[in-house]
Parts: sequence; structure tokens; C-alpha cells
Amino acid sequence: MSKARLLRSLGGTLWPSFLTAAVASVVFFANIDPETLHMQTLPHWEFSRMAGYTIGFFMFWGVGLASSVMTFVLTERSPQESP
Amino acid sequence: MSKPEPAADDGPMYIAREKIHPREVKGPFQTLRHLAVIVLLGIFYGLPWLQWDGRQAVLFDLPARQFHVFGLTLWPQDFVYLALLLVIAALSLFFFTALAGRLWCGYACPQTVWTEAFIWMERWTEGKRQQRIKLDKAPWSRQKILRRGSKHLLWIVFALFTGFTFVGYFTPITELAGRLTTLSLGPWETFWVLFYGVATWGNAGFLREQVCIYMCPYARFQSAMFDNNTLIISYDEERGEPRGGRPRGIDPRERGLGDCIDCNLCVQACPTGIDIRKGLQYECIACAACIDACNGVMDKMNYPRGLIRYSTENAMNGKPEKVLRPRVMIYGLALLVLTTGVVYSLTQRVPLAVEVLSDRNVVYREVDWYTIENVYTVRVLNKDRVAHDYRLEAEGLEGIEVVTREDTLRVGPGETDSVVARVQVPRDAVEGAGNPFRLIMESTTDPDIRTVNTARFHGPSPGDN
Repeated sequence: MSKARLLRSLGGTLWPSFLTAAVASVVFFANIDPETLHMQTLPHWEFSRMAGYTIGFFMFWGVGLASSVMTFVLTERSPQESP
Repeated sequence: MSKPEPAADDGPMYIAREKIHPREVKGPFQTLRHLAVIVLLGIFYGLPWLQWDGRQAVLFDLPARQFHVFGLTLWPQDFVYLALLLVIAALSLFFFTALAGRLWCGYACPQTVWTEAFIWMERWTEGKRQQRIKLDKAPWSRQKILRRGSKHLLWIVFALFTGFTFVGYFTPITELAGRLTTLSLGPWETFWVLFYGVATWGNAGFLREQVCIYMCPYARFQSAMFDNNTLIISYDEERGEPRGGRPRGIDPRERGLGDCIDCNLCVQACPTGIDIRKGLQYECIACAACIDACNGVMDKMNYPRGLIRYSTENAMNGKPEKVLRPRVMIYGLALLVLTTGVVYSLTQRVPLAVEVLSDRNVVYREVDWYTIENVYTVRVLNKDRVAHDYRLEAEGLEGIEVVTREDTLRVGPGETDSVVARVQVPRDAVEGAGNPFRLIMESTTDPDIRTVNTARFHGPSPGDN
């Protein structure tokens, strides 16, 4: 992969996944209290709501990023096509 | 001229890009832009410090899961307002884009606003456009380190303050400031201050127009809202061409020249580095810097202003213009209806939420030979800022009655509580399962605070005795 393509991949993957993660976090946490999730999953761990929001946001970002990276790799031009 | 489309000769993205140093221009549109920057940044940095009723006026209290917006307190249950607000924002964007093109990009977009503020700081420390270009090329010297260093110092302080203000919308900012001075910010606060600060620094200091060109989704789809009557920034090719240099005071027509003196100021002023004379391009954020630059030149040459101007495609082609098109009217109408609806429903909003859950273990119970009972758990969320006593009543079935342990239920501001309600109905008033009735929760002090929930009452089937 060329350096240009590598750099382009940053903008083309990090950014859209960031945007969707922001929207997804707002919608998700408006309906679900991280405190509830905390009690239902790992009640023995110390978690603040703030930590819940942050982890949720980065989880959404991660998932979005995985999808974006996959799209990016799959739309990579095949060797025959490249000039 | 066609609708804005990405230039074909884009070349490689992100790399081999020469840093754009927009030339400072003066003129009415730039004054307007500066005003917009000051007002918008003023609102952003000032709002968290505003107090209202003894608390921060605008506070998105995530840990407590409540949003305070001046006199209003919103809960996760009021999420619909946030969604509607976003729809309104999108609709206004469509409306203004159809009407006047990329007003948002040129004047109000945070990217533009912060970039402008960062360019001011760059100007204070590194000087005007020519000096900045020279400094870029100059070898490292004491002078360069000093100028560069002070620029970055200004940028970083400003960016961190921006991050701090951002977090101040989510944590009471006065407390946050107190903790900052004693260097005892919590880990998440520190993280988000840095995250937002670094994002501001990177976006406004380095990425700048690349955000608009490569990252902004709106820039890609805004042309869908355009038509031939949308205000765009355009160069009057007929009047300007053929362009060329000339001494002052001669009649350009005699030499076969148009009004464009090819001074290149419009290109130098452009923050995205395009040449507007090539026609409308999707990189154009409609900041009107080229209009101001060109008008200045036209004044000096004693030519009429407006070689580059806000115009429409129809006007440029000598066709009649129309402001009120179906598109504009539909966007406008939808915007009006939605805004009125939201404002109306906000004024009618009841600061009380009640949820009724029926007891799943026992369908119904026979209290005595004449009476059937269903048990419900009624959850009450007091969304008001003061405590209330609530009384529960039922109606909709003959002889229906509610029995609760206490006569009223007291719930503090912002708190939830639940009450077990035993609803009793005479045996001959109900038949089978699923008889609808209404549970009414009302504040004893304020009859306006009242909710009605529909629930179902299950009685014995007709065959049972």
C-alpha cells in the first residue's frame, strides 16, 4: 500500500466511524443507563457513569472503525485495475 | 458552469499539499464573518458560566442523566425532543442551503469558526501572508523558533481552554475550574479535556480546509439542495474575460481586455486555495473572501464592483430569478410546523412520568365473592425541580377503586419511587381478560401535573365462577 493510500485510509476510516459512534452513543445512552448495564454485568467492579459513557463511545467507535477498515480493504483496487 | 463537483485533477489526497496561507482581506463580508466568529465563540465559551436559578444555565449532566437548559430540565425520557431538535437543525440546514447556498460553511460551521480564530493567532505571531510563506521556507533560526513557538503556545492554550469549556457543558464548570486550579481533575475529565483540545488543535491548526474537502459529509451532499436559483459565489466570466494586466486608467475594451486584471488576489484570499474564476467548485465554502478581495481591486481600478459576487446561476445566464420555489417553500413549511410543534409541546410538557407494570405472577385475585383485584406496580419519576405529593386514582370501569398503602406518594425532585396499587372492581363489572381502564396520577398541589396511563384489568372468564 502506498503512503498516500495509507494516509487516506486514516481520514476515510477514523472519521466516519467517529461520526456514527457519536450519534450511536447519544441514541443508545438516552435509552439505556450505563448504571443498569454495570449492575447486570460486572457489579463487583468499580464503574462510574462517566466511565460507562466513555467505554460505550469507544466501543461504538471501534465497531464502526472495524467496518470502515473492512470497506476500505475490500474496495482496494485489484492488481489488474491499478495503473 | 455546472453544479459543484469534485475536481477531476485532485491528485493525491493529504500529502504533497502546500500549506494554504489565506491573505487577509477587508470588506463587508469579512466583517460579517469576524462578527460571526466573535459571537459564536462568545456563546460557546460564555454559556457554561451563565447561572440560572442557582445552577448552571446549560448543563448536560450525564452522571445524573438530566439536561438543564435554562428553566427546563430534560430527562432521558424526553429524548424525543433531542431527536426533534436534530431534525429541525437538519431542516434549517436544507432550507438555508436551498436559499443561499453554503451559508453554514462560510459563517457558522465550527470548523470555519475555529480555523478563523487559529488563523488570527497565526497572524499575530507569524505576521501577514507573505511573512508566513517566507517563514515556512526560512531555515530554523532563533527568530523562527520564537515565532513558531509562540504560535503553538497560543494555539495549545486556546485549544486546552476549548477542551475545558467543552467538558464544562457536562460537569459544573465552576467546580471544574476549582479542581483545575488545584490540579485534581478526575481521570475522565482530564481525558476529555485533552481529547477535545487535541481535536481542536489538529482540526483548526493543521487540517483546516482539508476537513471541508475530504472529511465533511455535508460538503459532499449539499449540491443536492442546490438549484439554479440558489445563491452562489460566482465570477462574471463574460465581464471579466479575457483577463490580463494593464496600466491604470486605460479603457480595457480598447485593448480587448475584460475587467479582470489577473491580480490573483481572489486566489490568495481563498482559505481552501481554489480559483473561483474556474467556476463553482465543491471546495468553495462560500466565505466570500474573494468577493471582498476583488471589490477592493475594482475600487482601485475605478471599475464597478461585483466582478465576483453572490449571484444565482439563472442570473448569470440572464434568466429570471425566483426566490420562492417549491423546494424552498417545502423546507420552510416543514421547518415552521416542526418548530411550532416542539415549542408548543415543550410548553405543554408535564414534569411527571408514570409507568404502570402489571403483576405478572398473579393474573387476578378474588378479594371476596363480589370483588376482583389486580395488582400493579406504578413507577413515578418526578421531573420537576420541587418535591410533590401524588395521588393515584382509577376510572373507566364501573365501581373501580384503587387501594394504596399510603394515601399519597411523596417523590423528591428528580427522583423515582414506586407504589403498589391494588385495583379493585366489582365482579359483574368485568368480563374476561384485558378490560382497559385509566390510572390517573395527580399532584395534590398542582392539578396541571397529571398523567393518564391506560392499563388492562383481567377478570375471570365468563365460564369461571
